[in-house]
Amino acid sequence: MAMLRDPLLRAWGWLIGLSLCSTGVSLWHWPATLTPLAGALILTLGWLKARVILGRYLGLEAAPFWRRGFDIALALFCLLLLGLYLVSGLL
Amino acid sequence: MSETSVFDDLPGDLMIWVLIVSELLVFGAGLATFLAVRLTDPEGFALAQDMLHRTGAGLNTVVLVTSGALAALALHLRKAARRGPARLALVGAAGLGVVFLTIKGAEYAAKASAGIGWDTHPFFTFYYLLTGFHAAHVLAGVVVLLLVAWQDTPRNIEAGAAFWHMVDLVWVLLFPVLYLLR
Repeated sequence: MAMLRDPLLRAWGWLIGLSLCSTGVSLWHWPATLTPLAGALILTLGWLKARVILGRYLGLEAAPFWRRGFDIALALFCLLLLGLYLVSGLL
Repeated sequence: MSETSVFDDLPGDLMIWVLIVSELLVFGAGLATFLAVRLTDPEGFALAQDMLHRTGAGLNTVVLVTSGALAALALHLRKAARRGPARLALVGAAGLGVVFLTIKGAEYAAKASAGIGWDTHPFFTFYYLLTGFHAAHVLAGVVVLLLVAWQDTPRNIEAGAAFWHMVDLVWVLLFPVLYLLR
């Protein structure tokens, strides 16, 4: 049980879980109308994985100012990617 | 009088963070350009993407994040003065980096045998450019991990592990955009 509380092991578990989820979402046969939702979900999962790596592995959890900065910058970047992805569905 | 800077809060060396941000900007620009070019031919990009092996890339993601966990564990162990296990964790992380490259090599070989090259479609130009550049970083990271396993001061391991986490970070952004977004 003590191992399950280990922050490194938990971070690894989260990363594996999020990676499997995003692959599963992509392999699922979504109805055409829900494909944009699947794309948004995949990008959100990617953003969450990046947050885990920055916070737990690169140690930004101990530096809240930088953590917030990276979170915001990465969220804006993922929103840009999402916007470009969604626009292609409108063309 | 001592002055403190907000940069002092950053874990590890400032220069490794300069490198991390630089790499994120380069790969970020590549991914945004990829999606912008995709606007010109969404169907063609979707057909090209269907030729990729999503499950294989998902497996490679598991390999790389596990390798990142071993690198983080190595620093943790070294700070606890457990040099042997720390070195073992670093060699394990490097070994998984080699596994990642082997799977990536098999992926490239399968594409080549199917007659798919970088000029087959703009999708593949970006695919080879971005994954190839990332693979070059993985190769460099394997060398760095083995170097810091040899010269195993906590500072060296922290810098080497941070480089490896950067490689991991780039992959978790690259993987969904290139392989999963349909």
